[in-house]
Amino acid sequence: MTDQPPLESRAHDLLAVVIGAFAALTLITSPWNVDTEGPDPFYKGPLIFPIIILAMMILASLPACLRMIKPPQGASWHLDGEGFPLKTMIVLTLLCLSLVGVQVIGLEISALAFLAVGLRLAGHRGPLRLILIPVIITGLVVLVFKHFLGVFFPTPLIFDWFLE
Amino acid sequence: MWANMIDGIQAALTLANLGALVFGAFVGIVVGILPGIGPMVGMVVLLPFTFSLHPDVALSLLLGVYCGGYFGGAVPAILMRTPGVPSSLITTFDGFPLTQRGQAQTALSAALLGSFGGGIISVVILVFLAPILAHVAASFGPPEYFAAGLFGVTLVVMANRKQFAKGTLLLGLGLWFSTVGIDGATLSPRFTFGILSMQNGLDIVPVCLGLFGIGQTLILVEKKILQTESMSLTRSTLDFSKLAQALKYWYTLLKSGIIGTFVGLLPGTGSILASFMSYEAAKKSSKHPEEFGKGTPEGCLASEAGNNAVPAGAMIPLLTLGIPGDALSAVLLGVFTINGIYPGPLLLVKEPVLINTLYFSMFLINIVAFLMLALWLRPFAMIVKVPSSLLAVNIMVISVIGIYAVNTRLFDAWVALAMGVLGYILLRLRWPVVNLVMGVVLGEILENRLRESLSQGDGNPLIFLQRPVSLGLIILTALIVVVPLIRDRRRAALKTAKQG
Repeated sequence: MTDQPPLESRAHDLLAVVIGAFAALTLITSPWNVDTEGPDPFYKGPLIFPIIILAMMILASLPACLRMIKPPQGASWHLDGEGFPLKTMIVLTLLCLSLVGVQVIGLEISALAFLAVGLRLAGHRGPLRLILIPVIITGLVVLVFKHFLGVFFPTPLIFDWFLE
Repeated sequence: MWANMIDGIQAALTLANLGALVFGAFVGIVVGILPGIGPMVGMVVLLPFTFSLHPDVALSLLLGVYCGGYFGGAVPAILMRTPGVPSSLITTFDGFPLTQRGQAQTALSAALLGSFGGGIISVVILVFLAPILAHVAASFGPPEYFAAGLFGVTLVVMANRKQFAKGTLLLGLGLWFSTVGIDGATLSPRFTFGILSMQNGLDIVPVCLGLFGIGQTLILVEKKILQTESMSLTRSTLDFSKLAQALKYWYTLLKSGIIGTFVGLLPGTGSILASFMSYEAAKKSSKHPEEFGKGTPEGCLASEAGNNAVPAGAMIPLLTLGIPGDALSAVLLGVFTINGIYPGPLLLVKEPVLINTLYFSMFLINIVAFLMLALWLRPFAMIVKVPSSLLAVNIMVISVIGIYAVNTRLFDAWVALAMGVLGYILLRLRWPVVNLVMGVVLGEILENRLRESLSQGDGNPLIFLQRPVSLGLIILTALIVVVPLIRDRRRAALKTAKQG
């Protein structure tokens, strides 16, 4: 980050309001989201602690709510001058896809594809970084997790489709 | 007692434990040297691998990363004015000016001696102080534990009191995360939203790995490659003659080690404060305070001794009360609990061999990390040339697969990804993410103690005020919130009056 994000940026208040609203919604719906039919009195039951912490969260978000309604003089949405994190979002989407890919095309291909494309997106070039590193890391991941630790990975769905 | 100690030393010297602590220290130094990565990312990435290990070996591995990270952080701070870990920022004050004068070896020798000395001093204090605190805590009941936990989380929030509301929000969110899933006492499902996988709750491992591992690496993806032209080292190893020269600051070393340990003992205070306080104390008592900030080895030594004393200091409340001192020891608490070991005053009685293994392993980690860096100084320093975005992409894959591997549940990997997004937003906005982790870790402890206390008092919350220790802790908690807020408000009012 190039410059320190001002802590009074309205982006902070927006996030605080979102978390506060989530807490309020969760608090309101908690009787339906927590099973309180047990024989225990309220103070021994499963709802007392969530109620306390959700109330605490709502209280903590109130100053931000007030600032959102009535912004202080000179308040701005400027955060850190780093712009929209497009590259990060693409890498994150790829990471999600690679997780789906583990089920569909298997661990090896999805890890290899994510590493190669991810490194390319992160600005790396050349066969060493785009081919050799993904191959080595994928090999290590497979060796350690599949063979050394004996972790079970689901058979890729693509295999089932072909076998059918 | 001696038999337990000998058994502990024997366990620490087993091949598996030695291998774990050497590997852990190596990883720790590497992630410490790499600015922006740090020991937290190293620990959470290794976390999934620890579940197939014996608890003492797993703890040695992670403690190796924890301590090694602080050793490594000094290297780029001195050579490039870029702290590897945040607390090494103080080391740059004197380290980089020394490098500019061609005395990088003097600065590195002082910093390494400081790290080593601070680490050893803090372990000695841990060995002697932990049984005393555990003895006191043995008389604690649920109200005292709840009050101690409340005191701990309040300290964490107040450590970032400029972000008091945000810190409270994140602590609350972390506490709420800990309530998701089947309630252990009543077996009632809570906040599962009809999703079957949510019944197991949000495990601490995907939450921590997501927030710190994936969150931090998402930030690193956008980072540019570090410019390393200014890095200069004439030798590939540490100049041991300079090390002997640094020994003349033994009093500063001792003082900084003690300060660092006691700062680390307080939850939420962190290694930056330990480093800063040690540096300031050394400056005050130095014969040449005017040299501080312009390039004195004493400054490097004090700062590094202070921050390297934090890990053992943070272990004191963790082992005796089950309250972690910082986010890194919160991860260690996760390792304990996953292995069915619950830190608290009885831990020292129930698991004496494990505790002694831990103490001795911490001694060994400091020796190993010191020797590794001293003998392979240049190769380690060269690591800083590895582009952080290259590491970030690789860490992401290892993290996601590692999380799946813990319970072979894809749900955990999705939780880690969701937490990664949250972690990215919070880290970019510079919100105190540590509060969220402390909330997740301490949530279950606080909730259980609260409900047990209320049961003891037949639902009457005054039970917390009827017992002297819990009353004292609650008054202390109220004071650490109210006093700084009043002081800040007065200062702000004075400032406004002056401007007016």
